[in-house]
Amino acid sequence: MFRSRVGVGTAVLAAAALLLAGCADLEQPEVERIASTFAAADPSARCAVLAPATVAAVEAARSESCVQAMAQLSLPEGAVVSSAVWGDQAQVQLVGDTVFLTRTSTGWKVTAAGCRSRGDAPYSCRLEGP
Amino acid sequence: MSTTANTSSPRSGVRRVLHDNGLGIVFGVLFLLMLGGQAVSGHAYFNDQQISEGVEPVSLGHYLTSSSFAVDVVENWQSEYLQFFLYIFATVWLVQRGSSESKEVDDVGPESERDQRIGPYAGPGSPRWARTGDWRTVVFSRSLGLVMGGIFLLSWGAQSVAGWAAFNAEQLTSRQDPVTWPAYLGEPEFWNRTTQNWQSEMLAVGSMAVLGVYLRQRGSPESKPVGAAHADTGETG
Repeated sequence: MFRSRVGVGTAVLAAAALLLAGCADLEQPEVERIASTFAAADPSARCAVLAPATVAAVEAARSESCVQAMAQLSLPEGAVVSSAVWGDQAQVQLVGDTVFLTRTSTGWKVTAAGCRSRGDAPYSCRLEGP
Repeated sequence: MSTTANTSSPRSGVRRVLHDNGLGIVFGVLFLLMLGGQAVSGHAYFNDQQISEGVEPVSLGHYLTSSSFAVDVVENWQSEYLQFFLYIFATVWLVQRGSSESKEVDDVGPESERDQRIGPYAGPGSPRWARTGDWRTVVFSRSLGLVMGGIFLLSWGAQSVAGWAAFNAEQLTSRQDPVTWPAYLGEPEFWNRTTQNWQSEMLAVGSMAVLGVYLRQRGSPESKPVGAAHADTGETG
């Protein structure tokens, strides 16, 4: 009886883990598509997929419009290496770059790009929001 | 008269069910009300954090299906069931002289079959598994602790999975790498969530066992009778 209860418990936890993984799998193609095309997109297209808080942060920091700021920002264009989706947040590792995204009411948006790992510390990003 | 009897009979039946099951019903309703309160306040708090982190607030429905809500719920469940699981097993072997929460100090251990009314000593009203004297009696004799311990393990496991998902979402929000589930089990966040709940449960149980020696609550089975001596152990009023 105890063994079967442990078995049920393990099955419930495994189902929860699979559910988490399954939900993330559904979102991965979309976040990978946005992240991999962001660097090559024209300035106005980049601004269209930037998260509102990131647009506001860029415009405030540079005292210019998002399109003007994006025109001056060059990012490496690389293929997708891996991606991770957790809740409403995502990370896409590209060759030479890491992009962070958030889910909004109008779809996935980029919160940070041009990011480099600093170990356990937060990534250092050339483009980021608050 | 028969009409009156017919209409009043079901009402008194409902009243009787409510009266006879008051503890379970009231605490079941209170649980749902408190869970609703946690959902509303947790949603508001979650959205405060979302806004301060520069990401969009979410709907209540979205929050209720999030790992953040799930981990906040089950981290408290696991500690409550751990508390009862430990208390059920600890009170077999540990006593507290003078406490209504303890049995007599000389009764330490699982006690005899006669004392426990199992096997040949089972009465006509004893549960069937208490009468059989085989493995079913062994299991039934520990069923309360086993179920409490099982629910504890399940809810602690659920906390680890939901907490892992919530932790990784937070990691990505602050532009840090997500971690694997085994790595999360070594994170201070997991153990901080766990031990902050455990310590409060141990404090509550320990203080209840000791305060019950000297303090009384008239009419409560959790207390000794008001006039019972401080040294009286295992009495309930």
